[in-house]
Amino acid sequence: MNRRNVLAAVLGTALLLVTGCGADQTVTPSRAKAEVPLPANAKVLTEPPAAPPAQSCGDPTASLRPGALPAPNALPAGSTMARIRAKGKLVVGVDQNTFRFGFRNPFTGNVEGFDIDMAKQVATAIFGTPSALQLRILTSQQRIPALKSGEVDIVIRTMTINCDRLKDVDFSSVYYQAQQRVLVKKASGITGIDELGGKRMCATAGSTSLANIARAPAKPVPVQVSDWTDCLVMLQQNQIDAVSTDDTILAGLVAQDPFTQVVGDSLESEPYGMAIAKGHTDFVRFVNAVIERMRTNGTWTATYNRWLSDLLGPAPAPPAARYRD
Amino acid sequence: MSAPAVSPPTATRQPPRPPGRFTELGELARTTPGVLTILAVGLVLVSVLVGVLTAIGVQTRSTALDDLATSSGPLSVASQDIYRSLSDADATATSVFLAGGEEPADQRARYENDVAQAEASLAVAVAAREPADVTAPGSPLATLSAKLSVYTGLVETARANNHQGLPVGAAYQREASTLMRAELLPAAERLYRSEIGQVAGDQDDAGGFPWLEVLVGLAGLAVLVGAQVYLRRSTNRVFNVGLLVATGAAAVSLLWVVIATLGVNTNVDQSRELGSADVEALAQARIAALTARSDETLTLVARGSGATFEKDYGTVADRLGGKTDDGGLLRAARDGVDDEAVRGKVRDAQQAWAQWRDVHDDIRAADDDGDYARAVELAIGGGEDGAAARFDQVDSALEDALASTQQRFTDEVTQASHAITGTVLGVIVLAVLMAAGSVVGIWQRLKEYR
Repeated sequence: MNRRNVLAAVLGTALLLVTGCGADQTVTPSRAKAEVPLPANAKVLTEPPAAPPAQSCGDPTASLRPGALPAPNALPAGSTMARIRAKGKLVVGVDQNTFRFGFRNPFTGNVEGFDIDMAKQVATAIFGTPSALQLRILTSQQRIPALKSGEVDIVIRTMTINCDRLKDVDFSSVYYQAQQRVLVKKASGITGIDELGGKRMCATAGSTSLANIARAPAKPVPVQVSDWTDCLVMLQQNQIDAVSTDDTILAGLVAQDPFTQVVGDSLESEPYGMAIAKGHTDFVRFVNAVIERMRTNGTWTATYNRWLSDLLGPAPAPPAARYRD
Repeated sequence: MSAPAVSPPTATRQPPRPPGRFTELGELARTTPGVLTILAVGLVLVSVLVGVLTAIGVQTRSTALDDLATSSGPLSVASQDIYRSLSDADATATSVFLAGGEEPADQRARYENDVAQAEASLAVAVAAREPADVTAPGSPLATLSAKLSVYTGLVETARANNHQGLPVGAAYQREASTLMRAELLPAAERLYRSEIGQVAGDQDDAGGFPWLEVLVGLAGLAVLVGAQVYLRRSTNRVFNVGLLVATGAAAVSLLWVVIATLGVNTNVDQSRELGSADVEALAQARIAALTARSDETLTLVARGSGATFEKDYGTVADRLGGKTDDGGLLRAARDGVDDEAVRGKVRDAQQAWAQWRDVHDDIRAADDDGDYARAVELAIGGGEDGAAARFDQVDSALEDALASTQQRFTDEVTQASHAITGTVLGVIVLAVLMAAGSVVGIWQRLKEYR
């Protein structure tokens, strides 16, 4: 009897062992914290970008004096324009994220805007029709490399003319005169850049706006992104306090979010030029002739009214051209 | 059946004691009945030990097989599903921004189904894990659980803005895609890797030669034989029925375990060869195809600044089909399978891939020539010859191939499970029989000392 009990006990233990019994684990939910995602390539700059040395190059907006505009089928042989015409297309670096200047129209999928209409004018002057235009989307940072590599023939992308950039590329005469200002949320009560010390301000990498933010005496913290709409995303996600760039671009952002407003005075004057790789002075003069024609025949004002007047008010006079020779 | 009656063995130094005087343990070992009693207890202990160790060994295999059939196997499928669904969801949501206008209803439905599928598979994966795996910060499941809703939120914000014609919608979609590619997909891939690792671990546990069981079984047999030799010498009886039964039980148990486990090993090795190795190659190919598709779409969405996506497409394309469209993962998968039906599916995938690659070249040529509208039409437009249709052909051929290799995997594992079914119980019953036979056999001899 005794032995049988022992046997039963041992076998019982064995059965328990093989079937396996364990105590249940208790779990306490961990404290979860939301992480709001960032746009691709967004970066808070702890070290501000090296401000371009204050250079003197005279008047950077003075371009090359245009001659008479040749007809598309009478372009001077061997000229840059003739080469582009022979190639069959004009490749233009533009933006697709700046509302009303160069933006992708969600209804049609097409890239449209003031800059695109400018590009169409240049294409028409070379080919007689705007359809030979090929758009190449560039970020602010890609503009100069794309010109240097020959990937694009010309950049028409809210590009400010300054002495620093003139070392790398040539500019047309001014085709639009913008002013750098500040965009904030209406509810923030902020009225100017002076109140933004230590606050985060957004601009695109490689833009003059970013350098101007980094230089501002109020010492805001610059945040760089790829595209201007990324700034609006970050503002809506409460990751930045303000966006600072040209009034044209800001007006496009306000149009997309009525809870924002543009405040304060102009921080910088931002003259836009069309950029062309060095060594194509014939093309610069040609483009200046195209712009000159737009100034005088009402095309400029019509284009302004088409894209900008509801955002920026009635059309001003086209920016006056200045030439150095 | 009982042994022939003979006089008590002469080897006994002392006359038999009447029962009831067993209490004096010190003298016990010096008497034959004492030795016999100790022998009986020893044999019972050996039987129990053999039974327990063998049962544990077999149970370990059985548990590993159960895991393969019900946990790690299905979970590796679920985790692969998560990756596929997420990747397809992102490619679909992104392509909406290519077409312009309101997204087509079927595209929206595809996106919603992908998200629903990812969530369902995620729930399965979460339920199968310990809570600590899910809550540990940075673990794949924690990332997936926390970020999937953030992703869908961004996509809906993008959609709402897009419906109002605001370009900021595209910026939200880019942010969503970045989240997907930088966090969600890598987490899904890590999850898949760990589940595949689990499968391999379970296969190792379920397969392998049963060294422990064989050694223990042989030791048990040796002890039983030794006991019979001792009894024969000390009692002059050639056979002892009880001990013979015990020996038989031990031998049957050993044979059963060896045969069952060898059968299991065959199935497990087959599941490794037929199932998991191919599933892995096919799953990799499918993931590569998905990545190539999103790269293709994103290149067009970036419109001229998508060089990094196109470069990634090239890398992924070479991995998927090799430089010649007859290499890479697809070729490896085709060479790996020996099921003709599955091989046919992989061949279909290879063919569709070669055609897709041609369409892709046309897309790039059109885009580089400035004919963006044609590039978009080729990429997302309807028609048998479009990239979208070709991608779907590659994807569904690989899906079918995967489903059937997974089925074979499941079949092999189920077969292995059947082979081992009842072995644990059998081993325990045989161990009890071994113990009982030993006790009865020795009791027979002890009775003769009354």
